[in-house]
Amino acid sequence: MRPAAAASDPTKHFFQPIIVCLTVASVALTLFVIWISLHDLSLMRAGREKFVGLDNYIRFLGDPRAMAALWRTVLFTVLATVIEIALGLAVVLFLDRDFAMKRLVRTLLLVPIIMTPVVVGLTWRFLFDPATGMANYLLSLGGIDQVDWLGSPRIALFSVLVADIWQWTPFVILLVMAALESAPTDPLNAARVDGAREWQVTWYVLLPMLRRALAIVALIRAIDSIKAFDLFYIMTRGGPALSTETLNYYGYIVAFTNFDISYALAIAIILTVFTNVALLTMYSVLFPKTGDR
Amino acid sequence: MAKLSIRSVSKSYGAVSVLDDVSVEVEEGSFVVLLGPSGCGKSTLLHAVAGLNPIDSGSIVIGDRNVTNLPARERDVAMVFQSYALYPTMTVAQNIAFPLKMRGLDRRTSDEKVAGVARLLQIEPLMSRLPRELSGGQRQRVAIGRALVRDPRLFLFDEPLSNLDAALRTELRAEIKRLHQSIRRTMVYVTHDQTEALTLADKIVVLKAGRIEQTGTPLSLYDDPDNAFVAGFIGTPRMNFLKAVVVDDGKTLTVGEARVDISHLKTGLESGKTVTLGIRPEHLDEKQGVALSLAVDVTERLGSTSYVHGALPSGETVVVERREDQPRFGESITLRFQPKRARVFDEEGRRIR
Ligand SMILES: Nc1ncnc2c1ncn2[C@@H]1O[C@H](COP(=O)(O)OP(=O)(O)OP(=O)(O)O)[C@@H](O)[C@H]1O
Ligand SMILES: [Mg+2]
Repeated sequence: MRPAAAASDPTKHFFQPIIVCLTVASVALTLFVIWISLHDLSLMRAGREKFVGLDNYIRFLGDPRAMAALWRTVLFTVLATVIEIALGLAVVLFLDRDFAMKRLVRTLLLVPIIMTPVVVGLTWRFLFDPATGMANYLLSLGGIDQVDWLGSPRIALFSVLVADIWQWTPFVILLVMAALESAPTDPLNAARVDGAREWQVTWYVLLPMLRRALAIVALIRAIDSIKAFDLFYIMTRGGPALSTETLNYYGYIVAFTNFDISYALAIAIILTVFTNVALLTMYSVLFPKTGDR
Repeated sequence: MAKLSIRSVSKSYGAVSVLDDVSVEVEEGSFVVLLGPSGCGKSTLLHAVAGLNPIDSGSIVIGDRNVTNLPARERDVAMVFQSYALYPTMTVAQNIAFPLKMRGLDRRTSDEKVAGVARLLQIEPLMSRLPRELSGGQRQRVAIGRALVRDPRLFLFDEPLSNLDAALRTELRAEIKRLHQSIRRTMVYVTHDQTEALTLADKIVVLKAGRIEQTGTPLSLYDDPDNAFVAGFIGTPRMNFLKAVVVDDGKTLTVGEARVDISHLKTGLESGKTVTLGIRPEHLDEKQGVALSLAVDVTERLGSTSYVHGALPSGETVVVERREDQPRFGESITLRFQPKRARVFDEEGRRIR
């Protein structure tokens, strides 16, 4: 495009209004949310809210249930991301050879991803049913004691984690597989000629080449895990004894069970800030600005 | 240091046969060049020797070890890949040091060796860069460095100089030659470049579509080609091929009006048979011999000599190396050649001796 044309480009009359509308809408909405979070709006006392400053944020810091939920969110996110990446990578490295049913396996891998979380959650709820579920049946075959998968406060979070891993590891596998297939193979061969064992080829040459793809998949999974809601809602509703209540879920309870809208929005903003800080840190560690070593 | 025997190696990808019963003997410490048109299977053969793709049949012996079923790691060869195959996430120094690291060499010896190679290849200022921050020629030198830093039983080079400028290419060609003469390692070298092949090789193997056309010293391939393909492939400009008919009970050929005495050939030829007469451009500028007349088209001047392109009365195009004059477009000149310098090929391209 000619430089002069940029100023007089008539298409700007089409896209500029849209950009303005979107910007205004999102900025206004954010400001509105922040504004409400500085009040004590509650649907129980509609019309009688007043400005309370940072009270909701201070309340959050002193709210043990919120702090526990925050900690659970961190735990769930870290575990889900790490396990899904590690497991997905292991499967990809294992599948990285030609075998008869490669295409079939790939298609099957898509199944958990396209299933709706409701179906996944219900399926796993049945599997984890203490009396009639498949999980305990399998344990009984091995002569192991029955486990109350979703009923025990110490175990329930990990049961949801299992379902999340089942649903999302295939996603990791597909993305990493695509990265692996577009990576050049000659450097791997060069390493073999240079005397590297297969694990050394993987460790020194292949994994560094896949690092970017892995980092991006990890980011996506981390963001999704922080925001996870559906599996918790279907499988445990935050229970038993709040043992699976994440911050996101707690915010939902505060808003729609307690009708404490201002506090719920404060929680939402804290979650957003927290997510952004965590992810920006992660991002700057994974993609350092100077060079890319 | 070891000899290399490639024995009736065949390989196909699906229905496409890429290597067809290839056998090459490389004597200990000698330098063999694989020559052939693009896609003839040169890289495939090198990869098979290195142990990177399995062969369908045949065997590969390095030294006295049959390595056919050994993984690449245990074959102790060093290879320069056509695609360079540098490790994209390692610096130049780490790339070159990698084979030493894999062999568990201590840091100091390794650093010394890497520095030595870097000096030889003039890449010292690049040592802390990543491969993607290098030009094609620089990458190629790093790839060569990664092979030279080791002391393997066998060196495999897949077109290692293809991306360098003329000066650097000449220099590194001499360097490889010097290296070969000083360490006397067995080397197998793939190239398209005839000068490289002729100056470096103890032995040249000419491949075409996965089959060996001829194996021999550079001079024997040039002087005594087994077939029209080798005759045409070796030597620049290319050998001229002219249609000829056998007359006189096999004692004479006619090329247009001219008569060529072939009574020195041992194989008898029937009268009336069509054959191909091959004459190199440098053999068409004699004082005596059979005369052909050429309508000059273009003259390329190369200093002491010039290549004259033109057409015979039959319409066949011919290139001549002329030493004395530089005829111009439209002139007609007389070419002369000694019948004994000409090579005769049958209709399938096989040499008739
Ligand atoms: N993975 C593959 N699958 C199918 N065909 C292949 C494969 N790799 C190589 N080929 C075919 O094998 C033949 C030989 O390839 P190769 O790379 O050995 O050629 P080359 O002689 O090295 O050519 P060049 O001089 O262009 O490098 C080619 O016709 C190529 O198309
Ligand atoms: Mg090749």
